Amino acid sequence: MNILIHDLGKQEFERLFHNTGENNHIISDRGFIKNCVGCFGCWIKTPGKCVIKDGYENLGEIFSRADNVIVISKCLYGGYSPFVKNILDRSISYLLPFFKIQNNETHHQKRYKNNFKFSTYFYGENLTLSEMATAKKLVRANSINFSASDYSVSFFESIVQLSEEINVL
Amino acid sequence: MKISIINGSPKPGKSTTELMIEYLIPFISDNRVSVYHINRTNWDKIQFAEIGSCDVLIFAFPLYVDSIPAHMLSFLIELEKQKHLFRKKMIYCIINNGFYEGQQNHIALDQMKNWCSAMGLTWGQGIGIGAGEMLPFCKDIPLGHGPNKNIGRAFKELAYNINALDGGKDLFISPNWSRFLWKLQASFSFFYPQAKRNGLKKKDLFKQIHDEYF
Repeated sequence: MNILIHDLGKQEFERLFHNTGENNHIISDRGFIKNCVGCFGCWIKTPGKCVIKDGYENLGEIFSRADNVIVISKCLYGGYSPFVKNILDRSISYLLPFFKIQNNETHHQKRYKNNFKFSTYFYGENLTLSEMATAKKLVRANSINFSASDYSVSFFESIVQLSEEINVL
Repeated sequence: MKISIINGSPKPGKSTTELMIEYLIPFISDNRVSVYHINRTNWDKIQFAEIGSCDVLIFAFPLYVDSIPAHMLSFLIELEKQKHLFRKKMIYCIINNGFYEGQQNHIALDQMKNWCSAMGLTWGQGIGIGAGEMLPFCKDIPLGHGPNKNIGRAFKELAYNINALDGGKDLFISPNWSRFLWKLQASFSFFYPQAKRNGLKKKDLFKQIHDEYF
């Protein structure tokens, strides 16, 4: 299954990405996502599931089904937009609270067996070299922490340009 | 000198971020220091103008998924919208993360530097602190001693630079404590006891959820 996380408006997304097939799960901004409050509830109260009930509490299970996680995000200060970041912040139930050592760094152990490919498509006008360098480092770090099988990072000046590139779903 | 500190913790109560701010304040107390908690403050033009008029702005927040947490990002975007209220100032930053290595905060510090550039402000210095969840357990140990040795040294240097309105190399610190022990304690002294208090057994923490959502 492909998981597509994006921060575009409903109409804009439907206009640009018209070829979404059956094997895709789209995560979009419905306007009421709450932010992670660092309570660890998804680890120690209801393991595997976020305790904030706003329709985005099952991200761990959703990620566990993914072969590909595709992110379309505005690039802000070398990272994701708040909505996309919220999805990633709220998805830590995908992992276990316990630690492992990998390449002499601590990371979380896996809860599920799958390893998805993490593909990120950033858009934004006049992105600086520094922002792009930060975004590349961020996606690499995320792919290590989510135990992704592989990752990629691309940048686009506009959403239209981006949609032409990835309208293969 | 007017200093504003932004507490970017999403937690309504006590947090490691709050503790970091409590550690810093005695070192910079010759200045007029105001602390703003982004989740407890009703933001309006007056608040933004107050922050915009300070000489030094210090951000303190936790690291979420390798970078700035979502709610903090929204706040930074809001500050950028109010850019016209900001006069020139130095920016400092204290980030704590759950992993042992403070070095893992370097990407969030880079993001903060990118925000600084977008705002036309001057970057002063950043500190990345590892093993954040362990720090409240060490709060009765004086800074500069035992597990708080590195953190005490880092705060002293940061405060020196803040007071002198000077810049410095970013500092990444891990606790003066064995990583092996820290890793064991995280499981056996932190996660398992907390889960037990919630009526869960050890094996429950490994639960995999299937077919609940789909």
